[in-house]
Amino acid sequence: MSKWRMVIDLDKCTGCGSCMAACKMENNIPIVDSKEANEGGVLNWMDVITQYHGDYPNIEVDRLPKPCFQCDHPPCTKVCPVRATYLNPDGLVAQIYHRCIGCRYCMTACPYTSKVFNWYEPKWLDGPYKCFNPDVSIRMTGVVEKCSFCSHRLMKVKEDAALEDRPILDGEYEPACAEICPADAIYFGDAENKNSEVYKLSRSYRASRVMDDLGLEPKVYYLSKRS
Amino acid sequence: MSKQKVNLESEPEAALFRPIYETGKGYYIVIGIFIAIFLWAAFMYFNQIRFGLGVTGMNQTITWGFYIVNFVFFIGISHAGTLISAILRLSKAEWRRPITRMAEVITAIVLAIGGLHPILDLGRPDRMLYLVEAGRLQSPLLWDVTSITAYFTASTVYLYVPMIPDIARLRDQGGKLKWLYSFLSWGWTGTEHQKKVLNKAINILMVMVIPIAISVHTVISYIFSMTLQPGWHSTIFGPYFVVGAIFSGIAALLIVMIAFRKVFHLENYLKEIHFKYLGTLLLIMSIIWFYFTFSEYLTGIFAAEPHEMHIILYKFTGPFAIFFWGMVLCNFIIPVIILSFNKFKTITGVLISSITVVIGMWLERFIIVVPSLANPRMELPMGIYIPTITEWALLAGGISVFILGFMVFAKIFPLISVWEIEEGRKQGLKEVEERIHSYLPGTP
Amino acid sequence: MEIKRRDFLKLFGGFSGALLLGGCGLDEVLEVPASWVNKVKNGPKIETWKNTICGLCSGGCGIQVRLIDGLPVHIKGNPNYPVNQGGMCPLGINALHHLYNPDRIQIPMKRVGNPLTGKWEPISWEDAFKIISQRLIKLRRQNITHQLVILGSGERGVMKELISRFASAYGSPNYYQFSSLPNDVVPYLLVHGQSQIPSYDFLNAKIILSFGSNFLEEGFSPIYYTKLYSHHREQQTRYIQIEPRMSLTAANADSWVPIRPGTYGALALGLAYVLIREELYNEDFVTKYTFGFEDWIDKESKKHIGFRNYVLENYYPEKVSEITGVSSELILELGRELGNTPRALVLGGGGALDNTNGTFSMMAIQSLNGLLGNYERKGGIYFIDEPPYSKLPPVIEDSIAKNGNKKEPHAKPQDISFPLTNFSIESFTKNILRDNPYPIDTLFLFRGNPLFHSINHHEFVDALKKTPFIVSFDSFINETNEYAHLILPVNTFLEDWNESSNIPSVGFSHIGIQQPVVEPLFSTRSMGDIFIDLAKQIGGTVSDSFPFENYKQVIEHKLLGVYNSGRGAIASKGVKKMWLEYLQQRGWQISRYSSYEEFWDQLLKDGGWWNPIREEKRLNEIFKTPSGKFEFYSQKLKNSLDTLLKNQKENDSTHNLESILSRLNITARGDAVYLPHHEIVPYEGEKPFYFTTFQVLPNRDGKGANLPLMQEMFGYSVRSYWRSWVEINPINAEEYGIKDGDWIWIESSINRIKVQAKVIPAIMPNVIAIPFGLGHTSYGRYAKGYGVNPNSIMHNLYDYLSGKPALDGTKVKISLAS
Ligand SMILES: Nc1nc2c(c(=O)[nH]1)N[C@H]1C(S)=C(S)[C@@H](COP(=O)(O)OP(=O)(O)OC[C@H]3O[C@@H](n4cnc5c(=O)[nH]c(N)nc54)[C@H](O)[C@@H]3O)O[C@H]1N2
Ligand SMILES: Nc1nc2c(c(=O)[nH]1)N[C@H]1C(S)=C(S)[C@@H](COP(=O)(O)OP(=O)(O)OC[C@H]3O[C@@H](n4cnc5c(=O)[nH]c(N)nc54)[C@H](O)[C@@H]3O)O[C@H]1N2
Ligand code: SF4
Ligand code: SF4
Ligand code: SF4
Ligand code: SF4
Ligand code: SF4
Ligand SMILES: [Mo]
Repeated sequence: MSKWRMVIDLDKCTGCGSCMAACKMENNIPIVDSKEANEGGVLNWMDVITQYHGDYPNIEVDRLPKPCFQCDHPPCTKVCPVRATYLNPDGLVAQIYHRCIGCRYCMTACPYTSKVFNWYEPKWLDGPYKCFNPDVSIRMTGVVEKCSFCSHRLMKVKEDAALEDRPILDGEYEPACAEICPADAIYFGDAENKNSEVYKLSRSYRASRVMDDLGLEPKVYYLSKRS
Repeated sequence: MSKQKVNLESEPEAALFRPIYETGKGYYIVIGIFIAIFLWAAFMYFNQIRFGLGVTGMNQTITWGFYIVNFVFFIGISHAGTLISAILRLSKAEWRRPITRMAEVITAIVLAIGGLHPILDLGRPDRMLYLVEAGRLQSPLLWDVTSITAYFTASTVYLYVPMIPDIARLRDQGGKLKWLYSFLSWGWTGTEHQKKVLNKAINILMVMVIPIAISVHTVISYIFSMTLQPGWHSTIFGPYFVVGAIFSGIAALLIVMIAFRKVFHLENYLKEIHFKYLGTLLLIMSIIWFYFTFSEYLTGIFAAEPHEMHIILYKFTGPFAIFFWGMVLCNFIIPVIILSFNKFKTITGVLISSITVVIGMWLERFIIVVPSLANPRMELPMGIYIPTITEWALLAGGISVFILGFMVFAKIFPLISVWEIEEGRKQGLKEVEERIHSYLPGTP
Repeated sequence: MEIKRRDFLKLFGGFSGALLLGGCGLDEVLEVPASWVNKVKNGPKIETWKNTICGLCSGGCGIQVRLIDGLPVHIKGNPNYPVNQGGMCPLGINALHHLYNPDRIQIPMKRVGNPLTGKWEPISWEDAFKIISQRLIKLRRQNITHQLVILGSGERGVMKELISRFASAYGSPNYYQFSSLPNDVVPYLLVHGQSQIPSYDFLNAKIILSFGSNFLEEGFSPIYYTKLYSHHREQQTRYIQIEPRMSLTAANADSWVPIRPGTYGALALGLAYVLIREELYNEDFVTKYTFGFEDWIDKESKKHIGFRNYVLENYYPEKVSEITGVSSELILELGRELGNTPRALVLGGGGALDNTNGTFSMMAIQSLNGLLGNYERKGGIYFIDEPPYSKLPPVIEDSIAKNGNKKEPHAKPQDISFPLTNFSIESFTKNILRDNPYPIDTLFLFRGNPLFHSINHHEFVDALKKTPFIVSFDSFINETNEYAHLILPVNTFLEDWNESSNIPSVGFSHIGIQQPVVEPLFSTRSMGDIFIDLAKQIGGTVSDSFPFENYKQVIEHKLLGVYNSGRGAIASKGVKKMWLEYLQQRGWQISRYSSYEEFWDQLLKDGGWWNPIREEKRLNEIFKTPSGKFEFYSQKLKNSLDTLLKNQKENDSTHNLESILSRLNITARGDAVYLPHHEIVPYEGEKPFYFTTFQVLPNRDGKGANLPLMQEMFGYSVRSYWRSWVEINPINAEEYGIKDGDWIWIESSINRIKVQAKVIPAIMPNVIAIPFGLGHTSYGRYAKGYGVNPNSIMHNLYDYLSGKPALDGTKVKISLAS
């Protein structure tokens, strides 16, 4: 079985926000208006967190691009009363939008604050042209959503590989954020494959995971000289 | 003022029946006001359904707010009832007699209100049936659904069964709603056999209802403590919540008792002594509550796990400090000061401390739910939570349903168990004497 | 729950939901071509990809557009395109919302009534063309073709050539752009003698010292630089950023040096002092290839002070420290680091340039490169070659055109200001208002939104109101073209042909082909085609100058030269490494295509061409200054001031150099005027805060404001959405009792604006910074009414020499808004 892993190199990431935008466009994520946004209603599957440390003028800025960590032992799926979020056979934590009752228990259970909720009827660009990605279903008001590791891309890649009767190649399955990152800071691949970049990087001395001590086995690694 | 012509002359406990038959203008005004509030809340809820949960103050980090706070709070209040009455019954406390009914009514009404809150909180209430269709028993939320349903069933039965003799009496007195009383009295005529069965049923129920009640609030605490969130992930949450529930339950019961005593002139039934006893109980609960709170925070502070500490400091000194210290004041300082001194332990004193405790316990729920969400482990910029008018409306709606429920109940059934009072008058003295005798040394 | 048919369709084909709405007979059907509805309803979902170039900023990123049944649904970076190598910025990623924007102008429109309150009436393209061509023909008849003025925006390359061509064939010397590259390059012109923005060999530099050039965020091609930056991280290049506010670039730098706004030049000279005093400069280069370093004697035997002694006398660290707020220890440290590290690069931009003393500051910054001998060497500065384009046939000018072209450029400053430029937005405005040197009749606004972007809003509005006839070529109605009489809706870049070559400062010559990925959604037309057709309608030699059917043909024609040269390669898969080796082995000539058609087809398929191999230039070839060397002492500046003096003297005997200098607000005297030096910015002393602006990636210079997603992302780093904010240091915040999130008033002597405060330590005390780009009063539903435009409170100040707006020249006071 494949072990999909994402490695984000914080020493390369500039904090440009392209991954956020790419994820939004790729996954048909709703856009919220000014009032709601400033009340904390923005739906970001990928969120670049900025933090300042230190006092002027010796300031360090941390930028942390944060998708869902796709825990191997996800606490969010455990609490769902209706199995609207679950660990799928590819090892990804999936959401079933049509079953979700919107209790938001999974959101409170996620220690990484990765999930977002549709507080209103989702809105996109006005007008007849919505430019949805046809591979990703759109959500309705009152349900939870989150980064899927662009699993629709995996579906495609799996089909292709099956048709050609071959294993999935390294780099063949790449989420939108990894694909777009102008700093090439996001790596993605199968850690089962010992030759893959992610396998090597995830074992680098710079690699660490967020709150590894919680034992949730997040699939996202960060590379940083600092930590 | 409307009066039904029912002859209560021969009725020794006439005062208990009077509210059923006599309705003052004030009653209609009050009921009108609360119906208006309720309709307003219903309208706001309708809007929430229409536009989405965005009309609340919740947001992507603080995903639970008033509704969950109120859920825990109301369910806590509900422990007034059945649990207290069961304990009192079980311990054969004679002074329980005028209290149990009211306590049980609180449970039934408040439980219904509390139990509805998670539904108010759902993003897709239309999909609720998935809980049945696709319910996952592994989810603590389903444990809640199960235990609240069980508790609701048990406590309504437990409310209902001891009411049968009184209903039969209402049936026999004639007047309105005869069909209802006939139906509900189940052919009660007061035969010895019936009495025996009734007593047995009550005994079974009261034994059953205690673990169920405890389980309910334990399970509710599990919603929080089963997660990894700092401030929530605590092993003492189960008993802590139960204690808090009983604590707030008693306070709510006291407020209700004092209110009805005043409104329906029940001074004869609800005497100073009841308030003294319950006041003492409240004092004890306050101290136990404090003990739990102290343990909870001390262990957190001592171990000083950074995330945990972050939240504790946030509660102690952050924007929520006012609520935290308000809670300590309301739940501990004020009640302990008032209730420790006989001088202050008057009905007014008890009322004041009960009100502060109810407020304090609401704050406690708030201080448990919101700050943990406002400070997620990921050091995100802190969220803010400012409840909106919708949430206030629904809180007001919940309270008005509670009051309306009581007012309606009081119009249909006696709020004090008539037959138990009678029984007390007839047998209580003798029984107590015997019982006391049995405790004392040197007697066979 | 019942799933409504519409929801169902929405779910199963993104588009179909929205389109089928039309199919169901609702209003929207009017806006959706029926063929599409059919396609979406019935057609198989056929996926195709097309390569083109992003047109949302000057960055020139290669992109790939995913189409389902011919409809664009997604955009990603073209991994083979050398500029961005697959990367994109948020704005470009969101380009589909630009294409599908509900506020696009869908058909030509004529204004009836007054600007802002009037009504827009749709008219047909024929009528629109008729109105314009009749007017232009009339001007030709009256022999006043110079009264046509074209104000463009950021167009470059072939498009710029086409418009210039139109102007000269028609007979107008008045084609300008705002913001103007000629303004930006003045300092380069002075030191290098070339009006070209040089490229920097980031890859091989060991230290990169940037004075205010926020290239990761605001550079000409932020993505190109982000790619290089991430490569640095592997190479351990040391990166130092000097600016008052910690921009994205500073945040990613190894060290951030906060500096008082308007004093960059002084700091540069402080570093020059260290290099000179400690003899850390490149002596060989300085003696052989620079002019004015040592004291010198001119032809008239006048003694002149050299850069060396001027700096040693005036810019010792203690003094510089006092001016700039950078400690003298740090100045020494930086200077030594610069001098002791081989391959240390210095560049400047942004705030260093956006001030009244910008030209002198930039000269000072470039003087460091001169001292270090950073030219045509590894890790240094170089000038890239123009792509080997074919020339267009010469413009045919008839007597009318000749007469018009000979006229003085209308926007040329009429007083002595801005002596080094023919255009400044300020002189442009003033000259219209004063009918000086002559009145204008027709103004073409070619895209752009100068009203929003400039600082002298009131006068600019007056100038627009005064102009008899304004035609705007744009895709959206914005603040500026609200004043137009006629708006011609042009295609967005996804529907249009264009080319994007040699983005300034990108390190190799390249051409990106921008091709339509979709038919125009509305009744819009290609910008290039409009000019060609207008020329045809005017007829005569104007028409003869455009022997092309359409703009695409022009581009094809230009590319023929590239094909014939056999140089470079099409940017296709795997070319990067292999190609370089191949080229190195074989020299320059390579032709892999049997015909031009094959080359062209491949070009369209892959999206671009590039040539990483550059002809080495000898050092004495690159400087085009009067001395043929890098000039510390600018003879060009001296000459132009002398000319000014000469002209003035003829008119008015009271004028002398002294009064010219004071009119130009130059405080230096003697030789210092022509040497890099620090000029004091005329800040208002009593206001406590320096007011600066910056641009965030999702919005750039305001273009993202009409895209809801970009509005939502506007302040993602500070969690401020759809609104402006002001960054303020905690020290000042405490002083004023301001808490994070409070609303405050920012007040200059011009006006005041209300903004929400973000208290962050990443800004110098007594400096406040607002992101530029919001505060639109027009520009569609998503832009109008959100945030504030910081330009609206700026003093009307310009760089004395280049005419560039002094965006950092204002001081303000602040107060809590209750
Ligand atoms: N994100 C974003 N990027 C933009 C724009 C935008 O709106 N948003 N606008 C574009 C426009 S219109 C302009 S005029 C430019 C101006 O880009 P800015 O940096 O804001 O330009 P200026 O302040 O005019 O400074 C120009 C000088 O700075 C230096 N400089 C600027 N960028 C680079 C660069 O990428 N590399 C190097 N080596 N030097 C550089 C050069 O010496 C140049 O002469 O930015 C373009 N890029
Ligand atoms: N405070 C402050 N002020 C600044 C700057 C700054 O950094 N800070 N930067 C300055 C600089 S460098 C510049 S270049 C100017 C920018 O000045 P402009 O060149 O005027 O700005 P743009 O964003 O290029 O132009 C925006 C307009 O172009 C039109 N447009 C956008 N996309 C398209 C399209 O695809 N097709 C067509 N036909 N039209 C389109 C829209 O109508 C939009 O209103 O601002 C200057 N002003
Ligand atoms: S796109 Fe890449 S560089 Fe930009 S914020 Fe995301 S991870 Fe960082
Ligand atoms: S990061 Fe959160 S949402 Fe994602 S799998 Fe882990 S617990 Fe679930
Ligand atoms: S919000 Fe939806 S996915 Fe999350 S726990 Fe509730 S039902 Fe499950
Ligand atoms: S993996 Fe896909 S869904 Fe997840 S953050 Fe990246 S783009 Fe978004
Ligand atoms: S930097 Fe962004 S907006 Fe500019 S060309 Fe590249 S993708 Fe487009
Ligand atoms: Mo610009």
